[in-house]
Amino acid sequence: MSTMLVVRRVAQAIPLLLLLSVLIFALLHAAPGGPLAIYLENPNVRPADIERLKVSLGLDRPLPVQYLAWLRGFVTGDWGFSFTDGRPVVTRIAERIPATLELVSASLAVALLAAIPVGVITAVRKRAVVDRVTAALTVAGISLPAFWLGLLLQLVFAVWLGWAPSSGRSSLLGGGLGDRLAHLVLPATTLAVLHAAAWTRYLRSAMGEVLLQRFVLAARGRGVPARQVHYRHALRNALLPFFTVVMLDAAIMVSGAVMTESVFAWPGLGGLFTEALARRDYTVLMAFLMLSSVVVVVMNLLADLAARWLDPRVRA
Amino acid sequence: MIRTPLRLLACLLLAGCSERSAARNAPSNDLLVVGYDREPDTLNRFSTHILEDVQTCIIEGLVTNDEQMNIVPVLAVEVPTIANGGVVLRADGGMDVTWKLRPGIRWHDGVPFTSADLKFTVDAINSPDYNPESTDGFDRITSVDTPDSLTAVVHYREHYAPYQLQFVRGALPKHVLEGRNIDQAADYNRKPLGTGPYRVAEWKTGEYILLERVDDYWRGPAKIRRLQFKFITNATTRINQLAAGEAHVVALVPWDRARELRQVPGVTVHRMMGNSYEHITLNQRRIAAFADVRVRRALTHALDREAITRTILDSLAPVVHGAIQPLSWAFTDSVTTYPFDVARARALLDEAGWTDRDGDGIREKDGAPLAFTLLTQAGFVTRENVAQVVQRAFRDVGVDMKIQLVDGTSISSLWFEGNFDAMLHWWHMPADPELTLFFASDRTPPAGRNINFVADATLDSLLYASDREIDQGRRRRLLVQVQQRLAELAPEIPLYNVTRLDGVPATLRGFKGNPTNTGVFWNVHEWDVVSPP
Repeated sequence: MSTMLVVRRVAQAIPLLLLLSVLIFALLHAAPGGPLAIYLENPNVRPADIERLKVSLGLDRPLPVQYLAWLRGFVTGDWGFSFTDGRPVVTRIAERIPATLELVSASLAVALLAAIPVGVITAVRKRAVVDRVTAALTVAGISLPAFWLGLLLQLVFAVWLGWAPSSGRSSLLGGGLGDRLAHLVLPATTLAVLHAAAWTRYLRSAMGEVLLQRFVLAARGRGVPARQVHYRHALRNALLPFFTVVMLDAAIMVSGAVMTESVFAWPGLGGLFTEALARRDYTVLMAFLMLSSVVVVVMNLLADLAARWLDPRVRA
Repeated sequence: MIRTPLRLLACLLLAGCSERSAARNAPSNDLLVVGYDREPDTLNRFSTHILEDVQTCIIEGLVTNDEQMNIVPVLAVEVPTIANGGVVLRADGGMDVTWKLRPGIRWHDGVPFTSADLKFTVDAINSPDYNPESTDGFDRITSVDTPDSLTAVVHYREHYAPYQLQFVRGALPKHVLEGRNIDQAADYNRKPLGTGPYRVAEWKTGEYILLERVDDYWRGPAKIRRLQFKFITNATTRINQLAAGEAHVVALVPWDRARELRQVPGVTVHRMMGNSYEHITLNQRRIAAFADVRVRRALTHALDREAITRTILDSLAPVVHGAIQPLSWAFTDSVTTYPFDVARARALLDEAGWTDRDGDGIREKDGAPLAFTLLTQAGFVTRENVAQVVQRAFRDVGVDMKIQLVDGTSISSLWFEGNFDAMLHWWHMPADPELTLFFASDRTPPAGRNINFVADATLDSLLYASDREIDQGRRRRLLVQVQQRLAELAPEIPLYNVTRLDGVPATLRGFKGNPTNTGVFWNVHEWDVVSPP
C-alpha cells in the first residue's frame, strides 16, 4: 500500500523537479551579471582574460547546451566545480550540511518545546490573560524580521551582558560541547522564535477545532480528567495537521535560514547560498536550489506517510 | 515563552549592564583575531579575485607597497631600475629586467627559493592550462633566463612601465606545482607554501582561517604567535564582535560606523588616505548632453562636494579633483578645479543651449529635457545618501536625475556593457599610476574601463607616451600633463578620496596601514601587542 504510494509519488516528483530545474536555470541566467562579473572589478583583468575564462568555464556555449550538460552531470552525480574556488560542488555543499542540521534541529526542538504546551494552554483557556498575552507575542514573533531580532539578541546578550558569543560556531580555544552549545544559543533562539510563533497559533486553532468535537465532549462526559482529555484525546488529533506544517517548515528551514546564518556568521548552507548568489556561482546555486527542491518534495512525501501512519482514516 | 522577552525588555531598560565586555578576550601576542568580511575563494594569490590580506601574511613578493605607496624590496635585493643597471632597454623596442634574489630564503618546507620558481611562475601563468585571475604584464614576457639560482632575467617584448610590480605576488613553488593542474590543486590553494612570517594552521570552512607563525622566518619570528581571520559577512555583526572583544582588528570600517567604533574602549580607528576615489561617471555615448564639456563642467560646479564630505562622510574623506590620488608619486594639484558655484553652473548650461522653456524647472534643448539616471550600489548607505544629495543639487540647476539602486554583481555587468547613463562608484586602482585603461579612447569596454567614453587625441597621445616611459621622472612629467588635460576635459565628476578606516587594538604597535590593495598586513611581522598601561 504505502510502497505503491511511494513509487507513485516519486514518479510524480520527477517531471516536477525537471520543470523546476529548467525554471531555476533560466532565472539564474536571466539575472544580470554572471560568474565573471567579479573579475570586472579588478582593473588588471583584461578583456582577453575574461574571454579566456569564459571559454575555459564553458560559459561561451549556448544556454540550452549548458543546461543539458548540467543536467547530465547532475543526474550522474557529477555536480561540477564551483566557479568561486574551483573545488567540487559536492564538497562545498557537504561541508556545510552539519552546521545547518545542527542549527535547524536545535531550533526545531526549541520551537516545538515552546509551541506545543503554549498552543494547548491557549486553546483550552481561550480569551484568558495568558491567551491574550500569547496572541500579542506571537504576532510580534511572526512579524519580526530575523536579521533585526538576531542583531538585537546579539547586542543584548553578547555585547552588553557577555553571556553568549556574538557569532560563529565555535571558538578557537575552548572547542568543547559547552562552547558549541553557547554558540548555538542565540542563532537557534532567533530561528526558533520566528517558527514557534507561527506554530503556536496554528496549534491553538487546530486544538480549538478538535475541542469542539463530540468525542471530546463524550470524554469529558465519561469523567475523564481534563488534563487527559486535552493531552491524550484532543492533542493527538490536533497534532496531525500540525506535524504536516512543521515538516514542511523544517524543509524550508534547511535552505531558508539565510538571514539568521548571515547575522551570526553561521557556517551553514544559507551562508553558502548568499555567497554563491552574489557571485552568480551557477554550479553551486543549481546544486543548492535543486537539493532544496528535493528536500521539500521528500518532506512532503514523509508528511503524507506520517499522516497515514498516525491516522487510520487517511489509510482507508 | 513569556519570561525570555521580559528579561530582554529588562535588559534594554538597564542600559547600565554594558561596557564590561571589552576587557575579556583581550588581544595579545598569543592570538590576534581579525573580523574579516568574507571567506577567501582560494589562498593562491594569482587565482584569487578578492583582496590578498591572508595571503600577504604567508606568501611574500619580490617587492611590496609600503604605507607611502613606495615600492620596496622584500625577496629581491633591490628594485631594478635603469639607474642601477637592473633594466636594459633593447634596441628592438623590448626590455630586460634583472631581478637579484635575496640569498638564504627558503620555502616553509625548507626547499630554497630560487630563480627557477620565478621562471616556473611566468611559464605557468602564460600557459593555457592554468586560469589565473589576470595575465596582465606576464603576457608581455617572452622568456625568463636563470643564469644562476639567485638571478632571473625577464625579457619583455615591449617597454612596460609597471614592471616593478610584476612579482608583487611572489612566485608559485615549482617543486610543489610542476606538472599539476594548478586550478584544482586544493592542497596548495588552501594551504599555500610561502616564505612569509605565517603559515596556515587550519582553514575551517565557513568559519575561519588560523595562521601560526613560522619560527625560523628569515626576518626573525613575528611577535604575534597566531592570527585568526574570522569570516563575518554582516557588517553590524563585525562591529558587534569588535565591541564584544571577540574580534580585535576590523579592516575597512564603513564610514557611517566610525563614530560608533570610536566609543568602544580599547579600539583605535586608524585612518589613512586611499589610492582610489569616489566619482560620478558620465556616459557620453548614452547621454548626448554629456558630450558637451560645458554641461560636464556645469554639473561639477553644481555640487557642494565639501558639504557632502562634511556631512555624509563626517569629514573622514577629503574632496579630490582627479583620478591620481595625493599619495602617488605622480600626483599634482596644479589642475583646473570646479568649485561649488550654482550661478556659474546655470550660466554654463544656458551657454550650452539648455534652458527651461516650459517653466517646469527642468532645462530642455530641442524639445528634450536634460534628464538621466544615476546607477549606484544598493545597500551601500553612504552611496545612497550621496546620490540623494546629488539629485537635489542637480535639480537646483534644472537637471532631472533619477536614482537606480542595483546589487554589486549586476552593476559590474551593466557598466561592462555600457548600459547606464551615469554611475556613482569607485575603481580599485592599481598602485601604478597608469590611467590609459580608464581614459584612452580605444580602451572602452570590453577593451578597458573608459566608460565615460571620453575620446581626446591630446589625452591619448599623453597617456600612451606615459606608458612607454620607464624613467620615473620623465613619466611623472607626462602624467602631470595627463592630469591637467583630464581636469580641462572634466569627463567625470571626482568626489572624494576613498579613505581607509581600520579598527585596531589601542595596544597594537607597528601597525602602519596601507593605501593600496596590498592591504594592511604587509608588515604583520612587525606588529606587537603591548600590555595595556
